[in-house]
Amino acid sequence: MKNFALGKYVPFDSLVHRVDPRVKIFATIALLVAIFLPQETYSMTFLVEGVLFLLALTLLFISHVRFRDILLSLRSLWFLVIFLLVIYIVVPKKENVLGIAWNLNGWIVYWDAFAEAGKIVLRLVTMIMVTMVLTATTKPLDLTYALEWYMTPLKVVRFPAAEVAMTVSIALRFIPTLLEDASRVMKAQASRGVDFEHGRLWQKITGLTALIIPLFVSSFLRSEELANAMECRGYDPRKKRTRYRTFRLHVRDVLGLLLVAAILAGVIVLLAMHIDLFALWGIHAL
Amino acid sequence: MPITFRDVSFTYAAKTPFSYEALKGINLQIDEGDFVAIVGRTGCGKSTLIQHMNALLNPSQGCVEIDDFHNDSDKKKRTKKVKPLRQKVGMVFQFPEYQLFEETVEKDVAFAPKNFGMKPEEALQKAHEALGEVGLDESFYTRSPFELSGGEKRRVAIAGILAASPEFLVVDEPTAGLDPKGAETMMDLFRSIHEKGTTIILVTHDMDLVLKYCNKVIVIDDGEVAEITTPDHLFDVDVERYSLQSPLLFSFASSLLKGGLAIERDQVSDVPSLAKEIARCIR
Repeated sequence: MKNFALGKYVPFDSLVHRVDPRVKIFATIALLVAIFLPQETYSMTFLVEGVLFLLALTLLFISHVRFRDILLSLRSLWFLVIFLLVIYIVVPKKENVLGIAWNLNGWIVYWDAFAEAGKIVLRLVTMIMVTMVLTATTKPLDLTYALEWYMTPLKVVRFPAAEVAMTVSIALRFIPTLLEDASRVMKAQASRGVDFEHGRLWQKITGLTALIIPLFVSSFLRSEELANAMECRGYDPRKKRTRYRTFRLHVRDVLGLLLVAAILAGVIVLLAMHIDLFALWGIHAL
Repeated sequence: MPITFRDVSFTYAAKTPFSYEALKGINLQIDEGDFVAIVGRTGCGKSTLIQHMNALLNPSQGCVEIDDFHNDSDKKKRTKKVKPLRQKVGMVFQFPEYQLFEETVEKDVAFAPKNFGMKPEEALQKAHEALGEVGLDESFYTRSPFELSGGEKRRVAIAGILAASPEFLVVDEPTAGLDPKGAETMMDLFRSIHEKGTTIILVTHDMDLVLKYCNKVIVIDDGEVAEITTPDHLFDVDVERYSLQSPLLFSFASSLLKGGLAIERDQVSDVPSLAKEIARCIR
């Protein structure tokens, strides 16, 4: 339960860590759009995706995310790769441009199947890596503050942005506490003869109620205590609050924004103007 | 049969950057019929130690033997079935009231005996006996455990352990958060359980309790056994070394002794016994 790699914050003081979380959220969304914009030919697709993949890898490298963690978060993709390959091989496209891979007594498999599957997998891998840059380099609390900032315009339509952000950050804060509580109650019930691992199904179910009910009870108690403590310190959700940490855009943030905007714009231009870089260089690519 | 720790070490989160060695080569024995206190400063490894006694934790090195049960660091040598052990060694955690979950008090108390294989009627019978032992009468049987007061909840939780009739009872800070009167009743409860033949292992910071109830003290310091001795001897030597403080009563008795009153200090465990000793000397 404690060693999931995806979405884990990696404490470090790197350039990417220092970038404003608002910029990082925007950049992530922009890069995701760039990743999923379709290009016209296979060669262009793999060129653009390849560049984005390298960019994501570089960012992860700068953020000091361990290579092992990257592999761990990509591990579950294996199943998808095989699944996609099977689908594309069994259900070929109408127009195939890359030629025949093999022909077994009339069962024709085109190279296009592999290319299509590879395209999707490369996109997914890049997508996971880009979101990993965001979660690995931004503290969950900073993320919620940044989300609150993005939600502020919604205040016009009476959307409670500050309250939502407060709720989310409290929820995040209490995940480790809840895990700790759960392990404590599990131990206490194990001492009373509950076998959470072996045991018959019915026993496991009663064992689960013996875990969940105490957890609910202590969570309710805790939330009431927290609410009281907050009120004692004068918390009023309707008041405008100031922050210990204020966001201010630095040069690096602006540069980052410009870089990402340039990438997105470039990808859109390539797509909209039907530009084939290979053809410009005189190479005939498919 | 005693509980024996043979060279037990335990490391949390081994092989990670967060690895922390909580126990370092513990050797000790707890005999049947003892009323043992385990003391030491916060974070010294007391809780980790007691969790080895009913295999909630398995040692990283060494072995804990309880009868024929081996809680060994080597998986092959470890006894597979933990249920008989958990029935034999009852564990009352700190703030046990947080483990209540059933609709009625008697159902909650009967939970453990049922898990250990008793028939429902038999378990209910046991539950009623245990509730009587902790001083809760029939009017509590069908009430919801969540509507009780804090002290009553704790009694129900303790009855929930007693109902499984353990031979060893490990209690972690049972008096935490109770008023002085409630704490005394609670401790007298453990004394009466002890007199019925259950071995009690008490984890506490309260030296008055150690002096009053225990016949043996195990001092844990930084994951190691610093001393295994009697309360009288522990308070006589330098207890401050382990961040412990001699009970006032004990210091008073020591001053009397130094002042020339020939009391027998190891007879002194609470105010009445001290009064008796003084009376005997000045007679």
